[in-house]
Amino acid sequence: MKTLLTNPAGWKSLITFAILFLAWVSGFSARLFAVIRFESIIHEFDPWFNYRATAYMVQHGFYNFLNWFDERAWYPLGRIVGGTVYPGLMLTSGAIHHVLHALNIPVHIRDICVFLAPIFSGMTAISTYFLTKELWSPGAGLFACCFIAIVPGYISRSVAGSYDNEGIAIFALQFTYYLWVKSVKTGSVFWSVLTALSYFYMVSAWGGYVFIINLIPLHVFLLLIMGRYSYRLFTSYTVFYILGLVLSMQIPFVGFQPIRTSEHMAASGVFALVMAAGAFNYIQTRITKAEFKFIFIFATLVTSGIVLLAVVGLTWAGVIAPWSGRFYSLWDTTYAKIHIPIIASVSEHQPTTWFSFFFDLHILVCVFPAGLWYCIQEYNDERLFVVLYALSAVYFAGVMVRLMLTLTPAVCILGGIAFSKIFENYLKEETPPVINNSTKLIEDKQSVKDKTPSKSSQTAAGKSKKKPPTVVSTNGDCSNGEGVGSNIRSIVTISMLLVLMMFVVHCTWVTSNAYSSPSIVLASFSSDGSRQILDDFREAYYWLSQNTDNDARIMSWWDYGYQIAGMANRTTLVDNNTWNNSHIALVGKAMSSTEPKAYEIMTSLDVDYVLVIFGGVIGYSGDDINKFLWMVRIAEGEHPKEIRESDYFTDRGEFRIDSGGSQTMLNCLMYKLSYYRFGDLKLDFRTPAGFDRTRNAVIGNQNFDLTYLEEAYTTEHWLVRIYRVKKPDEFNRPRIPVSERKIRNPGASAVSKKSARKKKGTIYGKPVVVKGKKPKSTSTYTSASGML
Amino acid sequence: MYFKNIFLCTFIVFISLVESAREDRPKNLEQKVQQLNDLYQNKFVVRFNGPKFKEFVKSPPRNYSVIIMFTAMASHRQCSICGHASDEFIIVANSYRYSHRLMESPLYFGIVDFDEGSDIFQMLRINTAPVFMHFPAKGKPKPLDTMDIQRVGFASEQISKWIQERTDVQIRIFRPPNYSSTLALSILFAICSSFLYVRRNNMEMIFNKNLWGIGAVLFCLTMISGQMWNHIRGPPLMHRNQQGVITYIHNSSQGQFIFETYIIIVLTIDLILVFGVVIMTDSYTKKTDSKTRKIMTVGGLALIVFLFSVILSIFKSKAHGYPYSFLIK
Repeated sequence: MKTLLTNPAGWKSLITFAILFLAWVSGFSARLFAVIRFESIIHEFDPWFNYRATAYMVQHGFYNFLNWFDERAWYPLGRIVGGTVYPGLMLTSGAIHHVLHALNIPVHIRDICVFLAPIFSGMTAISTYFLTKELWSPGAGLFACCFIAIVPGYISRSVAGSYDNEGIAIFALQFTYYLWVKSVKTGSVFWSVLTALSYFYMVSAWGGYVFIINLIPLHVFLLLIMGRYSYRLFTSYTVFYILGLVLSMQIPFVGFQPIRTSEHMAASGVFALVMAAGAFNYIQTRITKAEFKFIFIFATLVTSGIVLLAVVGLTWAGVIAPWSGRFYSLWDTTYAKIHIPIIASVSEHQPTTWFSFFFDLHILVCVFPAGLWYCIQEYNDERLFVVLYALSAVYFAGVMVRLMLTLTPAVCILGGIAFSKIFENYLKEETPPVINNSTKLIEDKQSVKDKTPSKSSQTAAGKSKKKPPTVVSTNGDCSNGEGVGSNIRSIVTISMLLVLMMFVVHCTWVTSNAYSSPSIVLASFSSDGSRQILDDFREAYYWLSQNTDNDARIMSWWDYGYQIAGMANRTTLVDNNTWNNSHIALVGKAMSSTEPKAYEIMTSLDVDYVLVIFGGVIGYSGDDINKFLWMVRIAEGEHPKEIRESDYFTDRGEFRIDSGGSQTMLNCLMYKLSYYRFGDLKLDFRTPAGFDRTRNAVIGNQNFDLTYLEEAYTTEHWLVRIYRVKKPDEFNRPRIPVSERKIRNPGASAVSKKSARKKKGTIYGKPVVVKGKKPKSTSTYTSASGML
Repeated sequence: MYFKNIFLCTFIVFISLVESAREDRPKNLEQKVQQLNDLYQNKFVVRFNGPKFKEFVKSPPRNYSVIIMFTAMASHRQCSICGHASDEFIIVANSYRYSHRLMESPLYFGIVDFDEGSDIFQMLRINTAPVFMHFPAKGKPKPLDTMDIQRVGFASEQISKWIQERTDVQIRIFRPPNYSSTLALSILFAICSSFLYVRRNNMEMIFNKNLWGIGAVLFCLTMISGQMWNHIRGPPLMHRNQQGVITYIHNSSQGQFIFETYIIIVLTIDLILVFGVVIMTDSYTKKTDSKTRKIMTVGGLALIVFLFSVILSIFKSKAHGYPYSFLIK
């Protein structure tokens, strides 16, 4: 026992282990807000598809999953799911499910899916620790680990229930980078093989693997330019590239892309360069300097010319595909806006304001440039890597909000370095400690460099408000020493800890308020603070699953495709996998045309039900009317003759739904389906009937009837409205309410229907005198039928 | 309706007057097209004045339609957007000429300047500039024949889209390559290389870590202060409301003003500098005496706390309902 207590190395690893464990636990528990507040449920849109695919895989086996042709999506085209997904996510949770069931732990696959991302966030934290440890010091590693465990930029994609590729991909990203740094440092084949395997996992998990396969070659290229070529570099890159290339092509969705698309060309170019550098290095040892210079220049010119020509020629011949639109829009920042409205329409593809940076990273965003500065000041092979990582990621994050996710780990690493540096300086004792009564204190002083930052980072991670005082008291003790400025030291330490505490509080607040909403269950708070759950989405999907035919086809805007397939298990026309723009445009065209024209499209697509989201009753702003302009725009892109965006604006260029709105807008299908019978609804006594709370206006077109559709179901808060598309033989015989039904032949009506069948001999339409009543009924009836 | 009728009547009367005045030299279609082509030969855009406009655009026998930009290019009119609009219009006209042959062209491009044909402006009751109008081969221009530049702007792509809507003529826009950025880049490159050439005996500065460090940090700052957002969205510098009060900070979390991002850059630069100073005071400036170090540390710390609370308070003012603040409300 004594040796254990006094052995610094033992304490060191104990504290490290404790901090890593606490970071994992706190990161895990910070992500559980949604589960605690609502229930263990899959969130949002894409996760529903992933969940459905996982459930399919667990049920039918992996090979059936790879061959799965999903006829319930993209009706009538269908979708080859096995060949168009990154299967890593499903495989991971399927494997966990398998292992647990082999151990006789019966966990439902849904719970594994819900908790997968929080568990992996802990693994991300640990791999970040290892990466930062390789780059800088274990203390900085512990800081970075604690930062990434709770930073909102990463939590946004990994709360419980957000079952998406990014949840596991960030772990794969960090782990690959760790292994890469390790293999560059050691130059061993073992580590680079591991890098390639980890890269393989990343490729199977997320399309963002392209970031790795461009960043690592960039790193190698930079090292070559700086003249830092070494055998270590040669071994690690060549092994990684060849293995990674072969492995990545095993994923069906990736296929031959790594040798055929421009996104991957940089890697092969750098591979050739490394080979050339190796060759020159070898030649250099054999020939004189003058000869070498000549050969070098000649060979460089010739090879670069040949390579350039080859790439241009192959691209021109169509062997190498040019940059895809999504990647291209990263470089030419206005490209997507002009050419691909469907990419521009997604909110997470928008550029990032400084507000979002601060919101997602808080103090780290101000501090990480300091860490970057130190990495450049004291650079070596692996620190150059993190510099490149940070610079490229910060650019991408600036272009697209969504890519904040790739910036976050880099920021955490560099922020960890900066903070560890400051604590290293200010917790260090100038004079040896005099008396200490607590063993922990002894520890703090003996190996200051590693332990003290870790201690304070524990406060950051553990979110415990008790811990700052202990650290403070520690430093208070220190200030009794004779060291110069020890008072100031403790002041600096305490203020830094305060700032870190603010960071923790901020992270928790953001996680709780911004990122923990499942978005299929909404919560509203009344004035007395009580919470009301709006479960309209699931109500509607459940209705669909219970009340419609098994093969009913449901038309909705693409946002809801995955949810309908996942929860209602019905066929959809378009969904969140936006691979077929013209199909989406067709749906958009149906939504933005008048009822008869939309009916043509709907019959041609065999639509049985139409589902719209309407937020006017409860003031939900993400509804279909607010998304409507995108439907018009996408439809206009494919059908410029029939749909014109300008028709949906008023003369003054406003988008309005009240009586001042344009006639095209007030008569399109989406408007009618959203506001059908809404004009009769009086929400409260202060507002007039038909008042839309989302857009704060009284609707313009109030009393209209639907000819080709009929209302099938509207949920409690009117959030989801489902309409049935009438069959052609239905709509030209409008249903007349029982009260208004006037039968032309009263004599026949006196007899009940049952007996009427028996009385076969009666003459239909036999003229009978109506007593005391003018035959007004006939006129209304004929006018009604004459209408059609 | 009443008003329109009057306008129509005056219009017809006017036209007939013009027609009768020109009775002495009758024009058939072929001659007219020939003349127009002659006018068109040298330039890609015809400049119309009053009589020419009436002859070629207004008078009936036509088998061609005309796209006309009404503008006021003279400098004393001070129409700054007319210049931009005219550039875009000429790009469209040129692109059209490159892809279509003149003789079989059903479309002509023309410009009417206010100072050359103010009577046309009066006749068509145009009192703003620039205005793009399409005069179809048959009939009068309808409301949709005037391009809605308020909404779609006057980028040449938009003009060509509008022309395609109105006349079914598809024009692929060939923009003359923009040499200004290439030029700027090459100048920068030349300056850099000449600088390197001058300093060729002393290449230390390439290996200067401070230089690279400053560059990297500045790049990060441009990105995190949202300059890319500014570049893509083009927000105003600042906002002046009806009372004339200038707001520098955008009220919501969804937007930002250019000035606001500059404030953030400055604050963050200061914060990083001070942060660096505080880190360095202890480990890097051993030479200075302890008093200076103390002052620097305390001052730096106070500045860090102050700057951070300023940023936090700006953040709080934008995020409605954010509960935390530090020193400053």
